[in-house]
Amino acid sequence: MQQSTLAYARSKPDRGDLIARAAFARLDVVALAVAMGCVFALGLWFATAMLLLKDSPPGVPIGPNLALLANYLPGYSVSWIGSLLGGFYGFLIGCGFGAIVAAVWNVAHHIYLVITTTRRYFAGDL
Amino acid sequence: MLNQAELALLKAAIRMNMIVMGIAFGLLGGSILWLGTIILLLRGGYDVGLHLSLLSVFLPGYSVTWGGAWIGLVWGFAFGGLSGAILYWSYASTLRERLASRLLNARDATNELTPPTFLMSGNALGIALGVLLALQLFLTTNWLVVRGTAGNSPNAALLGQYLPGYTVSFSGSLVGAMELFAVAFVLSHVLAAIYNFVARERTR
Repeated sequence: MQQSTLAYARSKPDRGDLIARAAFARLDVVALAVAMGCVFALGLWFATAMLLLKDSPPGVPIGPNLALLANYLPGYSVSWIGSLLGGFYGFLIGCGFGAIVAAVWNVAHHIYLVITTTRRYFAGDL
Repeated sequence: MLNQAELALLKAAIRMNMIVMGIAFGLLGGSILWLGTIILLLRGGYDVGLHLSLLSVFLPGYSVTWGGAWIGLVWGFAFGGLSGAILYWSYASTLRERLASRLLNARDATNELTPPTFLMSGNALGIALGVLLALQLFLTTNWLVVRGTAGNSPNAALLGQYLPGYTVSFSGSLVGAMELFAVAFVLSHVLAAIYNFVARERTR
């Protein structure tokens, strides 16, 4: 971001300052992890439950393709118990994804902010 | 209305955050595909990764092999990164100057190094994620149609189990894209509501 643009916006007390703050706003790691965990859990539970509710003719397995998730999620199957286990795994995976996205976001902004502040300090702006 | 300097600042902020979100999603996308391939290879067995290797239709050079895992990492980073950047651009462009109002403790932060916390807008996220996923479904389906393998894509056709009316055809992709937009919009609202609730509780 241009130094002059940032400096101008910071001299204006309200909107420009808020935009600059919004640019560097951090994501709450725990909140994003929990939120993505819940959405993933809901998604995997619903995907399994939908196949179970649709059912299949006698002798034909239900959801053989979705059941391949058992390669990655031990114990998972397209069954009601499997849907709960899938929901649990979905929560863990979603938590992991959310935490990674939020952590990368925060660290990248922090690094950028530290570099910019250090540059301004050595340039005599601070 | 924003003045010229504020608009320039907003555009610069969106550009910078697009890159950051692109990196975050790129790392995630690349590592998911790499790890997904590696797990199958370590498990071994007959016809390893028969289904996952179908991704080579969309990702040239990808295969469920040790070398293919690294090619998958690069493709995953590229697609994930592009998706993350488009997602943020679309989200921020929908909110524009209202982006600055979606903050927790914006005025309490006195130190430049302690920025406020981001709050999510369910509508903006819903539009951004919905458009992104709908576009991806439309493009991937029609890629199968264009290369003439639509009739030989029973795995893609299984999406019709979740998106009624979806088929591996141009008209089916339009129906599927609209339904996927609706699903993504609803899930985005759920995500934003939970995130905002937890974030507010934690800053009390």
